[in-house]
Amino acid sequence: MQRTLAYWFVASTGRKSPTSPWLAIAAGLTALFVAIPLVYIFFRAAGAEPAAWQRLLQARLWQLLGNTLLLVVAVTCGALVTGVSMAWLTERTDLPGRNVLRAMLALPLAIPAYIGGIVHLALLRPRGGLILLALEEIIGRPVATPSPLGFWGAAFILTLFTYPYVYLLSGAAFRSLHASLEEAARSLGRTPWQTFWQVTLPALRPGLMAGALLVALDILAEYGTVALLRYETFSSAIFVQLAGRYDRSAASVLSAVLVILAILILWAELRVQGQRRFTQIESNWRPAIRITLGKWRWSAFLLVASVVSASLLVPLGVLIGWSLQAFADPQTLEAVFRAGSRGFGSFVWNSLWTSLLAALLATALSLPVALLSVRYPSRISRFIARFCQVGYALPGVVIALSLVLLINRTLPFLYATPLVVVLAYVLRHMPQAVRSSESALNQLSPSLEEAARTLGRTPLQTLFQVTLPLILPGLLAGAALVFLTSLKELPATLLLRPPGFDTLAVRVWVWAGEGFYVQAAPAALILVLAAALPLSFLLRQEQIFSDSSIS
Amino acid sequence: MSLYRFLIILSILVWGLTSCAPAPGAQVTAAVATEVSTAVGSPTPASETSGDDILGKLVIYSGRSEALIQPVIDAFKTKHPHVEILLKAGSNSELANALLEEAANPVADVFITTELFTVQSLAMQDVFQSYLPAEADQLPPEFIGPNQTWIGLTRRARVIMYNSELVSAQEAPKSIFELMDAKWKGQIAAAGTTNGSMQAQIAAMRQLLGEQATEEWLKGLLANDVTFFGGHTDVRKAVGSGEFKIGLVNHYYFYLQQAEGSPVGVVFPDQGEGEIGLITNATAAGIVKGAHNLAAAQAFMDFLISPEGQNLFAELNYEYPLRAGVPLRQGVQPLDGFRLAAVDVVKAALDFEATFDLMERVGLP
Repeated sequence: MQRTLAYWFVASTGRKSPTSPWLAIAAGLTALFVAIPLVYIFFRAAGAEPAAWQRLLQARLWQLLGNTLLLVVAVTCGALVTGVSMAWLTERTDLPGRNVLRAMLALPLAIPAYIGGIVHLALLRPRGGLILLALEEIIGRPVATPSPLGFWGAAFILTLFTYPYVYLLSGAAFRSLHASLEEAARSLGRTPWQTFWQVTLPALRPGLMAGALLVALDILAEYGTVALLRYETFSSAIFVQLAGRYDRSAASVLSAVLVILAILILWAELRVQGQRRFTQIESNWRPAIRITLGKWRWSAFLLVASVVSASLLVPLGVLIGWSLQAFADPQTLEAVFRAGSRGFGSFVWNSLWTSLLAALLATALSLPVALLSVRYPSRISRFIARFCQVGYALPGVVIALSLVLLINRTLPFLYATPLVVVLAYVLRHMPQAVRSSESALNQLSPSLEEAARTLGRTPLQTLFQVTLPLILPGLLAGAALVFLTSLKELPATLLLRPPGFDTLAVRVWVWAGEGFYVQAAPAALILVLAAALPLSFLLRQEQIFSDSSIS
Repeated sequence: MSLYRFLIILSILVWGLTSCAPAPGAQVTAAVATEVSTAVGSPTPASETSGDDILGKLVIYSGRSEALIQPVIDAFKTKHPHVEILLKAGSNSELANALLEEAANPVADVFITTELFTVQSLAMQDVFQSYLPAEADQLPPEFIGPNQTWIGLTRRARVIMYNSELVSAQEAPKSIFELMDAKWKGQIAAAGTTNGSMQAQIAAMRQLLGEQATEEWLKGLLANDVTFFGGHTDVRKAVGSGEFKIGLVNHYYFYLQQAEGSPVGVVFPDQGEGEIGLITNATAAGIVKGAHNLAAAQAFMDFLISPEGQNLFAELNYEYPLRAGVPLRQGVQPLDGFRLAAVDVVKAALDFEATFDLMERVGLP
């Protein structure tokens, strides 16, 4: 059958409104912008001399692939188990202190995993960790504690700081799940255990898949933690290639393989997500009845409390302790304030303005894409929206590698300016903005816009007077998410920052690399608190703090 | 709810604090500058210092880590308070890459490396401009680059450090080839391929022993489960705490760890009959071709080899100053008594690429 142009543009839902050409152009340009690093990396990798491929295939590639996949699988499973169980305990049981714990379980998202890793490493480092030394002092002889180094350490630390993705998404699913579903299963003779596996879990599946995807892609892109804990993955190997060699083709080859891996994961998720829909009838919603834990109450509390301690309280406590120590010692304090080329204030300011600018740009760019895909659904518009998710599959090191070469050759006036760092943030975090804008638009009935048009408003007037004000909370949520993740970004910033330009994340990394934990602590603490601000805004939108659920 | 409110208030407080932070930072710097210049005997910091004529920004790329160059920069700034110094610290090869990329549109004024092969290979690719500081005659002539493209600053030796609670002085390896001995399996730490000093050691060994023997040595290290860290600071701390018994490091890492009170010992290896001798290298600096602030760059180069600059390297970091007559820090073992391996810098720089190929082929992390 011959496919005409109309086939591609006519909405699959049957709506026949013509696509505004300007909107289509804006969305297309955004997609092109997002495509640049992707195309460039494949171009470079394909152009690499065969000898570079040969050397990598012989020595490194398979081992890296194994290492990376092993870590991705382990952390994703760990995050799923931790996230779902924490969500179930706080949403569905009479766990003591659940209202406070519910919030605290989400807050580790404000702590970059490498900062958590630095703290745990300082505490547990084999033969030198603070906990070991303290135990030795008390008991009088050396004691062995589990080491945070290597595969198990990296898996443990990364699980601690990525499970909140799963926790938040499954928590939301638990809250919105219709109680009658589970009650029906129970009344049909299923045990609670069977009900959980056969009814609850399948209904949670979309949320779990989305959470698992975020975790898996996060781990693929993770640089700081694996480098710190000496576990080699693709991201850290690419970083080493960039820092250790003149020749960049090997880095391009590794990057291309990494990006293909990420795209495969992304594609698998889209396939699975697309297949099943769970429809709930919206009437008569009421929350499920809480399960009484009985004698398990306090062991469950201990379990949740230990997760909260390891992922939130201990890192925060240690950072606060170190910061106080830094403030108590005038010499350290002076070192803290004079650090870098331009002092403490400059890198706090740099962190804030680059992340904020990235958040605004990403949100603005996501708007045409979301408008096109939501209001004018067609194969092309959906393709553009999907394509803008590609940033998820571009780890910071890969974006840095492509930008450093591209910018210098095509836009030399931008080279070695902080704007390149902002550009990297936008490219990397665009998907979050697109997803947020899409979901905000999805919730807005087009009839409101149509009414405005009927009343004589131009499309542009409609956009600014009706659509934007109504979807503003959704857009802000997207911007907050981009701000949060940009603030925490490390590898691209490390590679792209101009001379004398530091951010909080970079400073913490440089200091910790030299073993100056006390000096690094105030910067790390400010980074965490600055990240907690947008996070708390997002959590409030999630209504995680609402007391509406029945106690 | 209260936790949430608490967090918000805390964040706002921090926000408020940080927005005023530049001011205190600036005050600290100013205070320090005043203090130093009053110590010299001048009531106003700016008027009597020699650096009045030097203004603007000076961009320094440094392969020496920030902690090992910032004190020198600070001392330079007290002499020339009107120049703003922007530092980018990274690995030698990362920055060398950047310099090559930027050749048409240079960003950096001065480049500092931790070994000679990178500066020499950049010099051969026309990255530097000639500059010979007036006091360069105080340096040994072999540490001035061809066409005066770079100057050497300090010397460092590749040594074996050990934890003296776990290893006795007698037991400790006397040669880098003993690191392949199975009795040290899993107990040795070294720096990985990103580290300039490690790269330079491998390049030197290629020249002294040939490709094959060097490859065997590297494979021997890998087979012996040597742990490769990103940098030597991790290595020295791991040996100091006893996490590893043996570390392959530059000599000053031993002294830095000793100064922290750790039980560590040192071997200046390969001194026996027929052995290759102690491998040394030197830090160096050059002025980038097309540097925007030539006056500041030249002043900075002058400072690096001035008695004051050289003394800082010796005192803060236990290095061997190249300038004649600058004393070693007390306690540092002089190099005079050792047989040093002789390496041809120009030849090693020409072969540097082959060294990288070797590391990659062997799969060194």
